[in-house]
Amino acid sequence: MRHGFLVTLGLAVCATFAPAVGGGRVDAQEMTQEQALRLAFPPPARVERRTAYLDESHLARARALAGRDAEIESTVVSYYVGFEGDRPLGAAYFDAHRVRTLPEVLMIVVDTAGRLQRVELMRFAEPPEYSPPARWLGQLIGRVLDDDLSERRGIAGITGATLTTRAVARAARRVLALHQVIDPFEVGPP
Amino acid sequence: MLIRSMSSISRALTFAAVVSVSLFGALAPALSAQQTDSARIAELERRLDAVSLELERLSLGMDVVQADSSIMGLGPAASKVYQVTQGVSIGGYGEILYENFDSNREDNAPATSLDVIDALRAIVYFGYKFDDRLLFNSEVEIEHANEAYLEFAYLDYMLTESIGARAGLLLAPLGLVNELHEPPVFIDAKRSFTENRIIPTTWRENGVGLFGNGETLTWRLYVMNSLNGAGFNASGLRGGRQRGIRALSESLGVAARADYVGVPGLMVGASGFFGGTGQGRELNGTRVDANLLVWDAHVVYEAYGFDLRALVAGASLDDAAELNQLNALAGAAGVGDEMLGWYVEGGYDVLNRMETEHQLHPFARYEKLDTQQSVVPGFTAGPANELTAVSLGAAWRPAPQVVVKVARQLISNEAETGTDQWNVQLGWLF
Repeated sequence: MRHGFLVTLGLAVCATFAPAVGGGRVDAQEMTQEQALRLAFPPPARVERRTAYLDESHLARARALAGRDAEIESTVVSYYVGFEGDRPLGAAYFDAHRVRTLPEVLMIVVDTAGRLQRVELMRFAEPPEYSPPARWLGQLIGRVLDDDLSERRGIAGITGATLTTRAVARAARRVLALHQVIDPFEVGPP
Repeated sequence: MLIRSMSSISRALTFAAVVSVSLFGALAPALSAQQTDSARIAELERRLDAVSLELERLSLGMDVVQADSSIMGLGPAASKVYQVTQGVSIGGYGEILYENFDSNREDNAPATSLDVIDALRAIVYFGYKFDDRLLFNSEVEIEHANEAYLEFAYLDYMLTESIGARAGLLLAPLGLVNELHEPPVFIDAKRSFTENRIIPTTWRENGVGLFGNGETLTWRLYVMNSLNGAGFNASGLRGGRQRGIRALSESLGVAARADYVGVPGLMVGASGFFGGTGQGRELNGTRVDANLLVWDAHVVYEAYGFDLRALVAGASLDDAAELNQLNALAGAAGVGDEMLGWYVEGGYDVLNRMETEHQLHPFARYEKLDTQQSVVPGFTAGPANELTAVSLGAAWRPAPQVVVKVARQLISNEAETGTDQWNVQLGWLF
């Protein structure tokens, strides 16, 4: 093979530089609910699991808030409220949805002002090149449920991963809509 | 006095005792019932909680494992969300293209191109995830309704969460379209000339390499069988693709790409390929290496309804004279030893502020290409190979993964033989 040196060179360059340029991402596939919740509400915060049971009016309101393309099907919504003493810190929701044919699971944390506080990729079963980088997810932080929370408006895209972009934007709208309806920091869940 | 007081106290105590006994007798059944109700309510709450935990587990994935222990007071659902996912992934895309050519060329001579409706591509995507680290990915393509190809087929092995090894029939990681060639993804109704003749999309060859998806940098580095120079001609490199079909591998090449993705919506990067294209051919007893360098630099910005892209690509070919002789090409028909092309294009979703899922992107592209920017002595550059193309059109997406594009494409070249055309594309992706 006359160009064997190219193979050697290529693999040597890969081996040399690959660790340097590929690091820095959380190992999402190893992340557990517990780990994610500790990121959201670090100790000594207390975490309380709650379940909201939505009636038809709740469901209709959530759907209207989320918009047509962010489907809300379940009337049973589990979420986790973090407390420091008696003071609530935020509410964490775990949203599972399909990207192309395989699922993605996000932890989406909403603060007491109704803003997105944290978005963590928990699971991504599609090929890894379509997964949303943490830096890209970071643009969601501080967002509220408004018209700009859309991949067609205020959410920048991921080149070549349109379906991922849409799935994440829809999940954010869905969670914020449910959060408004559930209102976990007030009298309690419906 | 004391006795009277004692007697009063005694009567009071007796009265209290009688009242207490009477009340106890009256309330005892009620208290018992309350205790029973409390127990039943507690049991119902426990069952509801169990059902909601089970629903959550099903929603987040069947592969959620039970917690080893109670964690942070969360109960058994506080557990791994993702351990192992296996299974088949199916997708696909396709495009049908109608090209309607003007009857006259730019020099007013009659045009020779005939109108065509082509079922250009129909692709089925199959993937299989063996476990967290190992997956198979492929596209099986039917072109022009009757040509079957394996567009790509490779195995990925994730060395870490962000770095993987890849082997198989690979897409060359050059340019904007070669790896992302689904019709709803690229802007215009047709791929650019630059990414057809210099970067010969869809360029796929057999190889092995590494890839990385970092937070700010994505990259690929492959060793692949090279192009075959026997297919090069004056219009570029497209004929040199071996497409994995019993591909000659006397000449290998290295393809590399790096993109900065640190700003959401922005991708800035460059890519290159270097390798011999002689594939073992000899001229007068001397092996012809015909080393080829293909490179590109590109930028994409997608946000606020805008989709803006620019790309410049070039190629440098050694031993072009020898290749032309081997390929029996002479005069202006010979392959250039330098090629250059570039384009800028953009679209905007004019419906992005409206309450509709429909998208409507007017778009425009301006492109320059010269596949004979330089030719070796003894050959001439054909003026028809230096062209300018302008596209103006609109893409309507009734759903994000379905597109209908209509574009007017104005094509001119230095020989003034360009023919303008209308393009209508129907594309889908799922």
